[in-house]
Amino acid sequence: MTTSHHLNGDSMPAITTLDELYAYLDSAMQLEHATIPPYLTALYSIRPGTNSDAYHVLRVTVVEEMLHLTLVANLLNAVGGTPDLTVAGFVPDYPAYLPDGERDFQVSCARFSRESLGTFLEIERPRQAPDEQSRLIDRGPARRGRLGSAPGNNQLQYYSIGEFYQEISRGLHYLHDLLGDALFCGDPTRQVGSEYFYSGGGAIVPVSDLRSAEAAIDLICEQGEGFGGGIFDSEGELAHYYRFQQLVLGRYYQERDSRDHPSGPHIEVDWDAAYPIKQNAHLADYPADSEVAAAAIAFNTSYAGFLDLLTRAYGGRPELLLDAVTEMFRLRDQMTRLIHNPIPGLDGVNAAPTFEVSVHLAGVAS
Amino acid sequence: MSEHRSDERANGIDDAQHDVVVVGAGIAGSLVAKRLTQAGFSVLVLEAGPATAAAFDDYSNHVQAFYAATSKGPESAWPPAAGVPQPDTADIRTGDGYFVQAGPLPYGSTYTRLQGGSTLHWLGVSLRMLPEDFQLQSSYGVGRDWPLDYWALEPFYGEAEHEIGVAADVVDQTHLGLEFAPGYDYPMHRIPPSYSDRLLAAAVDGMTVNLGEDQLALKVRNYPAARNSMPRGDYRPVGAVDQRRAGQGDGHGLARDLGQRCAGNTACTPICPIQAKYNAGKTLAQADGRTLQVVAQAVASKIQLDPVTGEVRGIEYQRYDDPASARHTVHVARGRVYVLAAHAIENAKLMLASGLGSASGMLGRNLMDHPSIYGWGLASHPVGPYRGPLSTSGIDDLRGGPFRARHAALRVDVGNDGWRAPTGAPDSTVTDAVANRGLFGTALREHLRSTLSRHVRFSLNVEQLPSRSNRVSIDPRYVDLLGNPRPVINYDIDEYTLAGMAAAKRVYQEVFRRAGIKDCTDPEQGVWFPSVAYQGDTLHYHGMGHFAGTHVMGNDPAQSVVDTDQRCWEHRNLFLVGSGSFPTMGTSNPTLTLAALALRTARHLAKELST
Repeated sequence: MTTSHHLNGDSMPAITTLDELYAYLDSAMQLEHATIPPYLTALYSIRPGTNSDAYHVLRVTVVEEMLHLTLVANLLNAVGGTPDLTVAGFVPDYPAYLPDGERDFQVSCARFSRESLGTFLEIERPRQAPDEQSRLIDRGPARRGRLGSAPGNNQLQYYSIGEFYQEISRGLHYLHDLLGDALFCGDPTRQVGSEYFYSGGGAIVPVSDLRSAEAAIDLICEQGEGFGGGIFDSEGELAHYYRFQQLVLGRYYQERDSRDHPSGPHIEVDWDAAYPIKQNAHLADYPADSEVAAAAIAFNTSYAGFLDLLTRAYGGRPELLLDAVTEMFRLRDQMTRLIHNPIPGLDGVNAAPTFEVSVHLAGVAS
Repeated sequence: MSEHRSDERANGIDDAQHDVVVVGAGIAGSLVAKRLTQAGFSVLVLEAGPATAAAFDDYSNHVQAFYAATSKGPESAWPPAAGVPQPDTADIRTGDGYFVQAGPLPYGSTYTRLQGGSTLHWLGVSLRMLPEDFQLQSSYGVGRDWPLDYWALEPFYGEAEHEIGVAADVVDQTHLGLEFAPGYDYPMHRIPPSYSDRLLAAAVDGMTVNLGEDQLALKVRNYPAARNSMPRGDYRPVGAVDQRRAGQGDGHGLARDLGQRCAGNTACTPICPIQAKYNAGKTLAQADGRTLQVVAQAVASKIQLDPVTGEVRGIEYQRYDDPASARHTVHVARGRVYVLAAHAIENAKLMLASGLGSASGMLGRNLMDHPSIYGWGLASHPVGPYRGPLSTSGIDDLRGGPFRARHAALRVDVGNDGWRAPTGAPDSTVTDAVANRGLFGTALREHLRSTLSRHVRFSLNVEQLPSRSNRVSIDPRYVDLLGNPRPVINYDIDEYTLAGMAAAKRVYQEVFRRAGIKDCTDPEQGVWFPSVAYQGDTLHYHGMGHFAGTHVMGNDPAQSVVDTDQRCWEHRNLFLVGSGSFPTMGTSNPTLTLAALALRTARHLAKELST
């Protein structure tokens, strides 16, 4: 979906103070990050040498989620906030819950399969609330791992990820009307630019004013869901939703195709060529003192260190993103070590990274 | 298995008249095609090999071929088509490959006959030649002078560095008389030196070695690399190529985030899995598609002349559909101008097979390489090998100086790939530990950890001068499956170069001593390489893939094959581009210089074709 700013809406935006803006952007970082463990788990569960197209579709998507994470960090830094990926509960305890219109749905760390692709489609599905009043949905009692909810009121979840960003955009405009350019008081040296973040799928946007802030938000939304209701983003690249849909439908989109009707070449997907990993694995699933338990702890330690590295990189040392590349190779190797090996005592079920980075796993809702 | 991707283009091509017909879609041909299509001219490119490196999924198959290969030589990722054989490192020992090795020594280099050419497997070192390299005869009384000086080529070096995408800092490169245009810098910042580079520099910088009467101070320097790094200014690094076949959509962006930076995959040679390293497909993809036609699997086999004017009137080529078969059809490509950019060997071979270019007696002669010496050793502490680009630094100080009057110059390439190239490590280290040392379990792991982490490798690349007797020729007894001649190579290494190789050996031994590296060089135990006796010693040498000199450039038609525009003296609408035009090669890897020459020729052609 595209962000048509509800500037003329009658209702007050949910964000009317800087602290509220920070809280929303903190949640946005958490939201962007939350898609990465499920995508990576599915990606690395694909057996080497198989499903080349699916592998790259997932790989490109996860790279763009990293871009989105960095774009949100730029937004937060631009308005004087402090990105922190090390706070307790930053990494959800999977399954996590994401909004999808009138309902929400579970996102799991699971193997590559039709089912996980179905979930990924829901993550990226374009959804615009039918009216202003429907943008926040009361989901009832708070549930752990609920993402895309209103900071401070976990019971109220946004209609969709697009609507969540819509709210941020409204808040930015509101605060800009109030504060003027003083809103963008952040230290410009904390912005991550193209020398330290690169992706052919969309250039990183350093944020310094309202226009660049909108550009960053637009890029996030378009890459996920398409531009102006189309299947391509404004750079002519297929949006995530439609990339995933190609795998499920078994055909590529080509130019001039309409949504849901790809007419390009067929894609061969071998749904069985993925390791049978434990879904939403937790350390508790592994026999204590087993090699997979040790490997899972080693991964979690690395992942925690990686989030700390990103926090420092977003905290004024963007050059640390160079080291992050090496660390991502390490994370990949540690993930595949788990995914390629069986859990002792569970017949034919392989291990998987658990992403339990902290002992304070109270979950998002607590 | 084969995709008949160019059928629709090949059909009917006989009737088409192009402005320019280019033979070979390697770096030289691709640069010419890019420049001339962008200037509005119609260009037909004939490529002998398949175009499999141009589509991302096919490129991925090449990566898989490399992963699956037991021997990881330069050719392991790039098997040729049946009718388009290529030299293979493994054939050097048997003497039974594409090259007919007529001796007295084996020629140790290879190249790739696929769309993209040898840039598919090159390391990416992009050194300029030194100003003195262009005047070797007048400065030191050896070799030949170029008909161009450094400054005639300097602007084209800069252009080539931007076309290729070279990562380096000018401040690291201004030595040995090398100067850059004022204000110039490379399009990308240098690739950071490796940990071992830094350790070596700390130990070695400032030490001196004697070459003849010259005392030369050494310094470990970062070298310019055709490998994506942090861009300068608004330069945009060019990542993986993903051209899909007709009817396959836009490529779906599967490769769109790949290769904008080197990620240190440590497989530069034979294949960069993410294409952060330059290959010629990137240049060809930037040509103007409206006036470009590329016909792959089309082997130029004969140049047709107009008997009256002596000008070229067509190039016959053999088009095959199935890379596994020799079945083909014969076509003729016609243009106003013809550019042979097929490789130093293939250019000469095609000329010889067509009975052309014999007037000076120079065609096919002056074949050069950089016969190179390996030195390997164990550092006293871990240096972190087997990671990062295969090499990031070298020692350049022995590339120039008065000693060149007596023996060859040399360049020290410092590896990041441990003993892989000379010994087959780390695999051979494991085999040795298990089979010869009887190690297993913890002791085995400890042994591997303590030895592999200390592996150091130098490759010392030695200059070779042009010699009439080092040559490629053809012999009707030796033909390939398509009936085209196989190159017959006569090759020897003369006293001048042998003395340089002996000096190179002494240099690495001195550097090892200085740096506390235990010399473990033992060619008898390592990978087999050809050897040559010199002053009671046996020098084992490997080729660098640096072919040059087969259609030498000059001011005198009696002494050269092409002029300074790389135009054939005898056939004025025929150009031979590439390192075959080099009168001498110095100690630089030839690709950057041949790219600069190709750009210079393209500029000339654009002007000439407009008038």
